[in-house]
Amino acid sequence: MDLNALAAFCSKFGRQLMESGGEIYRVEDSIHRLTQAYGVPEAHVFAIPSCLIVSLTPAQGQPITRLCRIPAHGIDLDHLEQCNALCRRLCREVPPPEQALQLLDDLIVTRPRYSNAAVLFGHAITGGFFTLFFGGSVMDFVCGCLCGLLIGLSTRFLTPIAGSNAFFRTLLSAALSSLLAQLLVLSGLGHSADTITIGALMLLVPGVALTTAMREIMAGDLISGLSHTTESVLTATAIALGTGAALALGTLL
Amino acid sequence: MEFLIDWVLPCISSFFACIGFCFVFNIHGPGMIICGGGGALGWLVYLLAVFATGSEILRFLLAAIAITVYSEIMARVRRCPVTSYLIIALLPLVPGGGIYEAMRCCVQGDTALFLAALVRTFGIAGALALGALLGSSIFRILSPSFYRTQK
Repeated sequence: MDLNALAAFCSKFGRQLMESGGEIYRVEDSIHRLTQAYGVPEAHVFAIPSCLIVSLTPAQGQPITRLCRIPAHGIDLDHLEQCNALCRRLCREVPPPEQALQLLDDLIVTRPRYSNAAVLFGHAITGGFFTLFFGGSVMDFVCGCLCGLLIGLSTRFLTPIAGSNAFFRTLLSAALSSLLAQLLVLSGLGHSADTITIGALMLLVPGVALTTAMREIMAGDLISGLSHTTESVLTATAIALGTGAALALGTLL
Repeated sequence: MEFLIDWVLPCISSFFACIGFCFVFNIHGPGMIICGGGGALGWLVYLLAVFATGSEILRFLLAAIAITVYSEIMARVRRCPVTSYLIIALLPLVPGGGIYEAMRCCVQGDTALFLAALVRTFGIAGALALGALLGSSIFRILSPSFYRTQK
Protein backbone atom coordinates (compact mmCIF):
# COMPACT_ATOMS: atom_id res chain seq x y z
CA MET A 1 0.00 0.00 0.00
CA ASP A 2 1.09 3.54 -0.70
CA LEU A 3 1.94 5.01 2.69
CA ASN A 4 2.62 8.40 1.13
CA ALA A 5 -0.97 8.67 -0.06
CA LEU A 6 -2.25 7.44 3.31
CA ALA A 7 -0.18 10.05 5.16
CA ALA A 8 -1.50 12.75 2.83
CA PHE A 9 -5.04 11.60 3.45
CA CYS A 10 -4.59 11.40 7.22
CA SER A 11 -3.22 14.91 7.53
CA LYS A 12 -5.95 16.33 5.31
CA PHE A 13 -8.64 14.45 7.21
CA GLY A 14 -7.25 15.57 10.57
CA ARG A 15 -7.16 19.13 9.37
CA GLN A 16 -10.83 18.95 8.35
CA LEU A 17 -11.77 17.56 11.77
CA MET A 18 -9.82 20.24 13.58
CA GLU A 19 -11.04 23.12 11.43
CA SER A 20 -14.66 22.17 11.99
CA GLY A 21 -14.18 22.34 15.75
CA GLY A 22 -13.25 18.79 16.76
CA GLU A 23 -11.47 18.24 20.07
CA ILE A 24 -7.83 17.17 20.04
CA TYR A 25 -8.50 13.67 21.34
CA ARG A 26 -11.09 13.15 18.62
CA VAL A 27 -8.57 14.11 15.93
CA GLU A 28 -5.79 11.94 17.36
CA ASP A 29 -8.12 9.01 18.05
CA SER A 30 -9.72 9.10 14.58
CA ILE A 31 -6.38 9.14 12.76
CA HIS A 32 -5.03 6.44 15.03
CA ARG A 33 -8.00 4.21 14.22
CA LEU A 34 -7.59 4.87 10.51
CA THR A 35 -3.92 3.88 10.52
CA GLN A 36 -4.79 0.74 12.51
CA ALA A 37 -7.50 -0.17 10.03
CA TYR A 38 -5.00 0.25 7.18
CA GLY A 39 -2.52 -1.92 9.03
CA VAL A 40 0.34 0.58 9.39
CA PRO A 41 2.98 -1.09 11.60
CA GLU A 42 3.85 2.06 13.53
CA ALA A 43 1.92 5.29 13.50
CA HIS A 44 2.14 8.42 15.63
CA VAL A 45 -0.24 11.35 15.69
CA PHE A 46 0.32 14.57 17.57
CA ALA A 47 -2.07 17.48 17.55
CA ILE A 48 -2.36 20.81 19.28
CA PRO A 49 -4.88 23.47 18.27
CA SER A 50 -2.53 25.08 15.73
CA CYS A 51 -0.58 22.07 14.44
CA LEU A 52 -1.03 18.47 13.36
CA ILE A 53 1.79 15.96 12.87
CA VAL A 54 1.25 12.50 11.40
CA SER A 55 4.13 10.06 11.18
CA LEU A 56 3.79 6.62 9.58
CA THR A 57 6.57 4.03 9.63
CA PRO A 58 6.43 1.14 7.16
CA ALA A 59 7.78 -2.33 8.02
CA GLN A 60 10.84 -1.54 5.87
CA GLY A 61 12.15 1.84 4.88
CA GLN A 62 12.02 5.41 6.02
CA PRO A 63 9.20 6.85 8.11
CA ILE A 64 6.88 9.31 6.37
CA THR A 65 6.01 12.42 8.36
CA ARG A 66 3.53 15.11 7.47
CA LEU A 67 3.12 18.36 9.33
CA CYS A 68 0.14 20.60 8.90
CA ARG A 69 -0.27 24.09 10.29
CA ILE A 70 -3.90 24.72 11.30
CA PRO A 71 -4.94 28.34 10.73
CA ALA A 72 -7.50 30.16 12.85
CA HIS A 73 -10.87 28.65 12.07
CA GLY A 74 -14.57 28.78 12.82
CA ILE A 75 -16.92 26.02 13.84
CA ASP A 76 -18.91 23.79 11.52
CA LEU A 77 -20.57 21.07 13.58
CA ASP A 78 -22.35 19.50 10.63
CA HIS A 79 -19.04 18.96 8.84
CA LEU A 80 -17.61 17.48 12.04
CA GLU A 81 -20.44 14.93 12.13
CA GLN A 82 -19.94 14.07 8.46
CA CYS A 83 -16.18 13.60 8.91
CA ASN A 84 -16.82 11.42 11.94
CA ALA A 85 -19.23 9.26 9.94
CA LEU A 86 -16.69 9.06 7.09
CA CYS A 87 -14.00 7.91 9.53
CA ARG A 88 -16.24 5.06 10.75
CA ARG A 89 -17.02 4.03 7.20
CA LEU A 90 -13.35 4.05 6.16
CA CYS A 91 -12.36 1.96 9.17
CA ARG A 92 -15.01 -0.59 8.16
CA GLU A 93 -14.43 -0.69 4.41
CA VAL A 94 -10.74 0.24 4.11
CA PRO A 95 -10.76 1.52 0.50
CA PRO A 96 -7.43 2.50 -1.17
CA PRO A 97 -6.12 5.85 0.15
CA GLU A 98 -6.70 7.58 -3.21
CA GLN A 99 -10.35 6.63 -3.08
CA ALA A 100 -10.60 7.76 0.55
CA LEU A 101 -9.12 11.11 -0.46
CA GLN A 102 -11.76 11.35 -3.20
CA LEU A 103 -14.52 10.64 -0.67
CA LEU A 104 -13.18 13.36 1.63
CA ASP A 105 -12.97 15.86 -1.24
CA ASP A 106 -16.57 15.08 -2.18
CA LEU A 107 -17.58 15.69 1.43
CA ILE A 108 -15.81 19.07 1.47
CA VAL A 109 -17.43 20.17 -1.79
CA THR A 110 -20.97 19.03 -0.96
CA ARG A 111 -21.12 20.11 2.68
CA PRO A 112 -24.33 21.97 3.45
CA ARG A 113 -23.93 25.54 4.60
CA TYR A 114 -26.46 28.12 5.67
CA SER A 115 -26.64 31.23 3.52
CA ASN A 116 -25.47 34.55 4.96
CA ALA A 117 -29.09 35.56 5.46
CA ALA A 118 -29.87 32.40 7.45
CA VAL A 119 -26.82 32.89 9.68
CA LEU A 120 -27.81 36.50 10.34
CA PHE A 121 -31.35 35.31 11.12
CA GLY A 122 -29.83 32.86 13.59
CA HIS A 123 -27.87 35.68 15.27
CA ALA A 124 -30.98 37.83 15.46
CA ILE A 125 -33.26 35.24 17.06
CA THR A 126 -30.52 34.13 19.45
CA GLY A 127 -30.06 37.70 20.65
CA GLY A 128 -33.81 38.21 20.91
CA PHE A 129 -34.62 35.01 22.78
CA PHE A 130 -31.72 35.44 25.19
CA THR A 131 -33.13 38.87 25.99
CA LEU A 132 -36.47 37.22 26.79
CA PHE A 133 -34.58 34.52 28.69
CA PHE A 134 -33.02 37.11 31.00
CA GLY A 135 -36.42 38.66 31.70
CA GLY A 136 -36.89 41.20 28.91
CA SER A 137 -40.25 42.46 27.68
CA VAL A 138 -41.64 42.03 24.16
CA MET A 139 -40.10 45.32 23.02
CA ASP A 140 -36.80 44.25 24.54
CA PHE A 141 -37.08 41.11 22.43
CA VAL A 142 -37.19 43.24 19.29
CA CYS A 143 -34.20 45.29 20.46
CA GLY A 144 -32.34 42.07 21.33
CA CYS A 145 -32.95 40.84 17.77
CA LEU A 146 -31.52 44.08 16.38
CA CYS A 147 -28.44 43.91 18.61
CA GLY A 148 -27.95 40.24 17.72
CA LEU A 149 -28.17 41.16 14.06
CA LEU A 150 -25.55 43.85 14.56
CA ILE A 151 -23.22 41.34 16.23
CA GLY A 152 -23.80 38.92 13.35
CA LEU A 153 -22.99 41.63 10.82
CA SER A 154 -19.92 42.85 12.66
CA THR A 155 -18.42 39.39 13.32
CA ARG A 156 -18.90 38.47 9.66
CA PHE A 157 -18.01 41.69 7.90
CA LEU A 158 -15.61 43.50 10.23
CA THR A 159 -12.64 41.36 9.21
CA PRO A 160 -11.48 43.70 6.41
CA ILE A 161 -11.58 46.65 8.83
CA ALA A 162 -10.53 45.17 12.14
CA GLY A 163 -8.12 42.61 10.69
CA SER A 164 -8.06 38.94 11.56
CA ASN A 165 -7.40 39.60 15.25
CA ALA A 166 -10.27 37.78 16.96
CA PHE A 167 -9.67 39.62 20.26
CA PHE A 168 -10.11 43.05 18.68
CA ARG A 169 -13.08 41.89 16.59
CA THR A 170 -14.90 40.59 19.67
CA LEU A 171 -14.12 43.81 21.53
CA LEU A 172 -15.55 45.92 18.71
CA SER A 173 -18.66 43.76 18.31
CA ALA A 174 -19.37 43.87 22.04
CA ALA A 175 -18.92 47.64 22.14
CA LEU A 176 -21.13 48.22 19.09
CA SER A 177 -24.00 46.06 20.31
CA SER A 178 -23.83 47.53 23.80
CA LEU A 179 -23.95 51.05 22.33
CA LEU A 180 -26.88 50.12 20.11
CA ALA A 181 -28.76 48.72 23.12
CA GLN A 182 -28.30 51.99 25.01
CA LEU A 183 -29.37 54.02 21.99
CA LEU A 184 -32.48 51.87 21.53
CA VAL A 185 -33.44 52.40 25.17
CA LEU A 186 -32.78 56.13 24.87
CA SER A 187 -34.99 56.28 21.79
CA GLY A 188 -37.77 54.70 23.84
CA LEU A 189 -38.03 51.42 21.94
CA GLY A 190 -36.49 49.18 24.61
CA HIS A 191 -37.00 49.20 28.37
CA SER A 192 -33.95 47.67 29.98
CA ALA A 193 -30.54 48.32 28.41
CA ASP A 194 -28.90 45.79 30.76
CA THR A 195 -31.14 42.91 29.69
CA ILE A 196 -30.78 43.66 25.99
CA THR A 197 -27.00 43.96 26.25
CA ILE A 198 -26.64 40.70 28.16
CA GLY A 199 -28.96 38.90 25.76
CA ALA A 200 -27.03 39.99 22.69
CA LEU A 201 -23.65 39.40 24.38
CA MET A 202 -24.50 35.71 24.76
CA LEU A 203 -23.61 35.45 21.07
CA LEU A 204 -20.02 36.40 21.87
CA VAL A 205 -19.39 34.61 25.19
CA PRO A 206 -16.67 31.98 24.89
CA GLY A 207 -18.97 29.04 25.65
CA VAL A 208 -17.50 26.85 22.94
CA ALA A 209 -13.88 27.46 23.91
CA LEU A 210 -14.78 26.81 27.55
CA THR A 211 -16.57 23.53 26.82
CA THR A 212 -13.80 22.36 24.50
CA ALA A 213 -11.18 23.28 27.08
CA MET A 214 -12.94 21.24 29.78
CA ARG A 215 -13.34 18.20 27.56
CA GLU A 216 -9.68 18.33 26.54
CA ILE A 217 -8.40 18.67 30.07
CA MET A 218 -10.64 15.74 31.01
CA ALA A 219 -9.14 13.70 28.18
CA GLY A 220 -5.63 14.56 29.40
CA ASP A 221 -4.63 16.93 26.59
CA LEU A 222 -3.28 19.60 28.88
CA ILE A 223 -1.54 21.78 26.28
CA SER A 224 -4.66 22.09 24.14
CA GLY A 225 -6.87 22.46 27.20
CA LEU A 226 -4.74 25.32 28.48
CA SER A 227 -4.65 26.97 25.08
CA HIS A 228 -8.45 26.88 24.84
CA THR A 229 -8.78 28.11 28.44
CA THR A 230 -6.56 31.06 27.53
CA GLU A 231 -8.71 31.69 24.49
CA SER A 232 -11.89 31.80 26.56
CA VAL A 233 -10.35 34.09 29.19
CA LEU A 234 -9.09 36.42 26.45
CA THR A 235 -12.49 36.48 24.75
CA ALA A 236 -14.22 37.21 28.04
CA THR A 237 -11.74 40.04 28.64
CA ALA A 238 -12.45 41.43 25.17
CA ILE A 239 -16.19 41.38 25.85
CA ALA A 240 -15.69 43.06 29.22
CA LEU A 241 -13.44 45.76 27.73
CA GLY A 242 -15.83 46.36 24.83
CA THR A 243 -18.93 46.72 27.00
CA GLY A 244 -16.94 48.73 29.53
CA ALA A 245 -15.97 51.24 26.84
CA ALA A 246 -19.57 51.41 25.58
CA LEU A 247 -20.92 51.86 29.11
CA ALA A 248 -18.45 54.66 29.78
CA LEU A 249 -19.50 56.28 26.50
CA GLY A 250 -23.13 55.75 27.44
CA THR A 251 -22.78 57.76 30.63
CA LEU A 252 -21.70 60.70 28.48
CA LEU A 253 -24.81 60.48 26.30
CA MET B 1 -49.57 33.82 34.79
CA GLU B 2 -46.70 33.98 37.22
CA PHE B 3 -46.04 30.31 36.56
CA LEU B 4 -45.83 31.06 32.84
CA ILE B 5 -43.40 33.94 33.24
CA ASP B 6 -41.17 32.31 35.83
CA TRP B 7 -41.04 28.75 34.52
CA VAL B 8 -42.33 28.25 30.99
CA LEU B 9 -41.08 31.39 29.26
CA PRO B 10 -37.36 31.00 30.17
CA CYS B 11 -37.35 27.36 29.04
CA ILE B 12 -39.04 28.21 25.75
CA SER B 13 -36.72 31.12 25.07
CA SER B 14 -33.74 28.93 25.95
CA PHE B 15 -35.03 26.40 23.39
CA PHE B 16 -35.28 28.97 20.60
CA ALA B 17 -32.00 30.68 21.52
CA CYS B 18 -30.26 27.32 21.09
CA ILE B 19 -31.99 26.85 17.73
CA GLY B 20 -30.60 30.24 16.73
CA PHE B 21 -27.12 29.02 17.63
CA CYS B 22 -27.65 26.04 15.31
CA PHE B 23 -27.66 28.49 12.41
CA VAL B 24 -24.45 30.06 13.67
CA PHE B 25 -22.63 26.73 14.14
CA ASN B 26 -24.11 25.08 11.04
CA ILE B 27 -26.29 22.27 12.40
CA HIS B 28 -29.00 20.95 10.11
CA GLY B 29 -32.11 18.80 10.50
CA PRO B 30 -33.20 16.99 13.67
CA GLY B 31 -29.98 18.01 15.43
CA MET B 32 -31.48 21.49 15.85
CA ILE B 33 -34.40 20.16 17.89
CA ILE B 34 -32.04 18.08 20.03
CA CYS B 35 -29.84 21.11 20.76
CA GLY B 36 -32.87 23.22 21.59
CA GLY B 37 -34.26 20.50 23.83
CA GLY B 38 -30.93 20.31 25.64
CA GLY B 39 -30.94 24.05 26.28
CA ALA B 40 -34.51 23.95 27.60
CA LEU B 41 -33.81 20.89 29.75
CA GLY B 42 -30.74 22.52 31.28
CA TRP B 43 -32.65 25.59 32.36
CA LEU B 44 -35.58 23.48 33.63
CA VAL B 45 -33.19 21.51 35.84
CA TYR B 46 -31.64 24.77 37.04
CA LEU B 47 -35.09 26.10 37.96
CA LEU B 48 -36.26 22.87 39.59
CA ALA B 49 -33.05 22.56 41.60
CA VAL B 50 -34.20 25.50 43.70
CA PHE B 51 -36.34 23.04 45.66
CA ALA B 52 -33.31 20.90 46.47
CA THR B 53 -30.67 23.51 47.23
CA GLY B 54 -30.37 27.21 47.82
CA SER B 55 -26.86 27.49 46.40
CA GLU B 56 -26.75 29.02 42.94
CA ILE B 57 -23.46 27.37 42.04
CA LEU B 58 -24.87 23.95 42.95
CA ARG B 59 -27.89 24.58 40.75
CA PHE B 60 -25.63 25.35 37.78
CA LEU B 61 -23.67 22.20 38.55
CA LEU B 62 -26.82 20.04 38.51
CA ALA B 63 -27.99 21.64 35.25
CA ALA B 64 -24.61 21.02 33.60
CA ILE B 65 -24.68 17.35 34.69
CA ALA B 66 -28.20 16.94 33.27
CA ILE B 67 -27.20 18.49 29.93
CA THR B 68 -24.07 16.36 29.64
CA VAL B 69 -25.93 13.10 30.30
CA TYR B 70 -28.65 14.17 27.85
CA SER B 71 -26.08 15.02 25.15
CA GLU B 72 -24.19 11.76 25.67
CA ILE B 73 -27.42 9.77 25.29
CA MET B 74 -28.47 11.72 22.19
CA ALA B 75 -25.00 11.31 20.66
CA ARG B 76 -25.23 7.53 21.12
CA VAL B 77 -28.74 7.43 19.68
CA ARG B 78 -27.81 9.45 16.61
CA ARG B 79 -24.21 8.09 16.35
CA CYS B 80 -22.74 11.59 16.26
CA PRO B 81 -20.01 13.36 18.20
CA VAL B 82 -21.18 14.52 21.64
CA THR B 83 -19.60 17.92 21.09
CA SER B 84 -22.29 19.20 18.74
CA TYR B 85 -25.08 18.87 21.26
CA LEU B 86 -23.07 19.63 24.38
CA ILE B 87 -21.55 22.89 23.11
CA ILE B 88 -24.88 24.41 22.15
CA ALA B 89 -27.00 23.12 25.02
CA LEU B 90 -24.50 24.47 27.59
CA LEU B 91 -24.49 27.96 26.08
CA PRO B 92 -27.54 29.35 27.96
CA LEU B 93 -25.76 28.52 31.22
CA VAL B 94 -22.53 30.35 30.35
CA PRO B 95 -22.34 33.41 32.64
CA GLY B 96 -22.47 36.17 30.02
CA GLY B 97 -24.55 38.24 32.42
CA GLY B 98 -21.84 37.93 35.06
CA ILE B 99 -19.20 39.41 32.76
CA TYR B 100 -21.47 42.34 31.96
CA GLU B 101 -22.50 42.84 35.58
CA ALA B 102 -18.86 42.91 36.69
CA MET B 103 -17.95 45.42 33.99
CA ARG B 104 -20.87 47.70 34.86
CA CYS B 105 -19.86 47.80 38.52
CA CYS B 106 -16.25 48.43 37.45
CA VAL B 107 -17.25 51.38 35.24
CA GLN B 108 -19.37 52.78 38.06
CA GLY B 109 -16.33 52.52 40.32
CA ASP B 110 -17.83 50.05 42.80
CA THR B 111 -14.86 47.78 43.43
CA ALA B 112 -16.53 45.56 46.04
CA LEU B 113 -19.49 44.72 43.80
CA PHE B 114 -17.13 44.28 40.84
CA LEU B 115 -15.07 41.68 42.69
CA ALA B 116 -18.20 39.92 43.94
CA ALA B 117 -19.61 39.68 40.40
CA LEU B 118 -16.24 38.49 39.08
CA VAL B 119 -15.95 35.74 41.69
CA ARG B 120 -19.53 34.68 41.01
CA THR B 121 -18.81 34.47 37.26
CA PHE B 122 -15.74 32.32 37.80
CA GLY B 123 -17.72 30.16 40.23
CA ILE B 124 -20.40 29.48 37.63
CA ALA B 125 -17.83 28.75 34.92
CA GLY B 126 -16.12 26.32 37.29
CA ALA B 127 -19.46 24.69 38.13
CA LEU B 128 -20.15 24.16 34.42
CA ALA B 129 -16.71 22.61 33.92
CA LEU B 130 -17.12 20.30 36.88
CA GLY B 131 -20.67 19.44 35.84
CA ALA B 132 -19.60 18.42 32.34
CA LEU B 133 -16.80 16.34 33.84
CA LEU B 134 -19.10 14.62 36.35
CA GLY B 135 -21.82 14.14 33.74
CA SER B 136 -19.70 12.20 31.28
CA SER B 137 -18.02 10.23 34.08
CA ILE B 138 -21.42 9.25 35.49
CA PHE B 139 -22.55 8.28 32.01
CA ARG B 140 -19.48 6.11 31.46
CA ILE B 141 -19.97 4.32 34.78
CA LEU B 142 -23.67 3.72 34.17
CA SER B 143 -23.28 2.41 30.63
CA PRO B 144 -19.89 0.72 30.23
CA SER B 145 -21.01 -1.64 27.46
CA PHE B 146 -22.73 1.18 25.63
CA TYR B 147 -19.56 3.17 25.81
CA ARG B 148 -17.25 0.45 24.56
CA THR B 149 -19.24 -0.25 21.40
CA GLN B 150 -18.77 3.32 20.31
CA LYS B 151 -16.29 5.99 21.02
